[in-house]
Amino acid sequence: MTWTDEELVARTISGDADSFNQLVLRWERPIYALAYRTIGREEDARDVCQETFLRAFRALPGFRGQAKFSSWLYRIALNLCRDWSRRERRAPVVQAPEGVDLMDLAAAAEPSESIEDLVARKDLTRAVERAMALLPEEQRTAIVLKEYHGLTFQEIADLVGCPLSTVKTRLYQGLTVLRRELAKNTKALL
Amino acid sequence: MTESSCGYSGDREEALVAHVYNDGDPVAREAFDAHLAQCVRCRDELDALRGVRAQLGQWAPPEAGFAVISPGRQSWWRDVPAWAQVAAALLFLGVSAGIANLDVRYDANGLSVRTGWSKPAAPAPVARSAPSAPGEGTAAPWRADLAALERQLKNELRATQVSAAEGAPAPHAVSASDADLVRRVRALLDVSEKRQQRELALRVAEVLRDVNSQRQADLVKIDRSLGAVQNNLGVEVMKQRQSLNLLYRASQRQ
Repeated sequence: MTWTDEELVARTISGDADSFNQLVLRWERPIYALAYRTIGREEDARDVCQETFLRAFRALPGFRGQAKFSSWLYRIALNLCRDWSRRERRAPVVQAPEGVDLMDLAAAAEPSESIEDLVARKDLTRAVERAMALLPEEQRTAIVLKEYHGLTFQEIADLVGCPLSTVKTRLYQGLTVLRRELAKNTKALL
Repeated sequence: MTESSCGYSGDREEALVAHVYNDGDPVAREAFDAHLAQCVRCRDELDALRGVRAQLGQWAPPEAGFAVISPGRQSWWRDVPAWAQVAAALLFLGVSAGIANLDVRYDANGLSVRTGWSKPAAPAPVARSAPSAPGEGTAAPWRADLAALERQLKNELRATQVSAAEGAPAPHAVSASDADLVRRVRALLDVSEKRQQRELALRVAEVLRDVNSQRQADLVKIDRSLGAVQNNLGVEVMKQRQSLNLLYRASQRQ
């Protein structure tokens, strides 16, 4: 039987630890992806992911269900990412070492993918990573939540605590910067 | 409308974002749709933003390659008190030592430790009335403890029988009862010992299975890495080939 997040939360609070395991299995990848795209470092993203679930587990008895569990989890993760950025006092570096990046891409590549396609995809991935790293934190967060996690404008506004119109403005400005940077990259390749 | 001007009455940026993500007020969307039919600038920008989204879709985070260690997964063991964990560890060591026929001696020849299946414990007499000295007849220390426990049980049972009967029972009846008790205790011990042996064998099999699966995983990983290196090499070869082609074409032009 598939339980909803809210049902699993209730069961966890009543003492069923296995229900929390199911929540972890359901959400560990999205939370890791959010952390990676926000802070851009694999190891740190893993730490943030781990810490997110640890904090959620501790704070679960206080979870009243005003927001969706996923939104609550995202908020914990984003706060941890923000703490990380402040602590490290540096812009996110999304670019992985050259060899590692290519190895991962090559390993993940489907057999039908040609080497030319592989190189093009690798270049595009790097270009996106570089462009995303240039964005201010607020714009990057808005784009990551919208683009990769499919949150509505209102959910993003609730999550980051700003007006709806601000979310849209951040998205527009972020997309405009990305458009400019990606166009530069396309020109450079020609 | 020309490409350089846009007469949209609302917030153009918000409308573009709402349109590109298909999120927002449907009425406002319809109004912007009508505007788009006339405004080349907005159409172009919308296409460009969609193109950006398509490129963003190519960005996937690397595989985490890990599972979050859920706090709930470890709580069952953490809930066990420390003394119980220590007791469990000692029990496991004791059982392991017993099963392995561990024999530790300290005598005039110094400390000696022997283990293994080559020296099975000598069978103890079935109806032994007198306690045996430590190390006599049984090799493992736990056998001596069990014999002492057995003696104590027998004495207590005998005392109970005496007080209940309020009279001296026939000596042969006591002996028969003792022998029966000893038989039963030994049968229980045998069953327990066999169960422990089975459990140990099970644990060993589990460890072997884990080692084997880890080995398989490592082999797969190595295989994938080799494939990746080959791909990497292919990329370099392709680049070299392209460079050579470029040089060749350039030299042809000259």
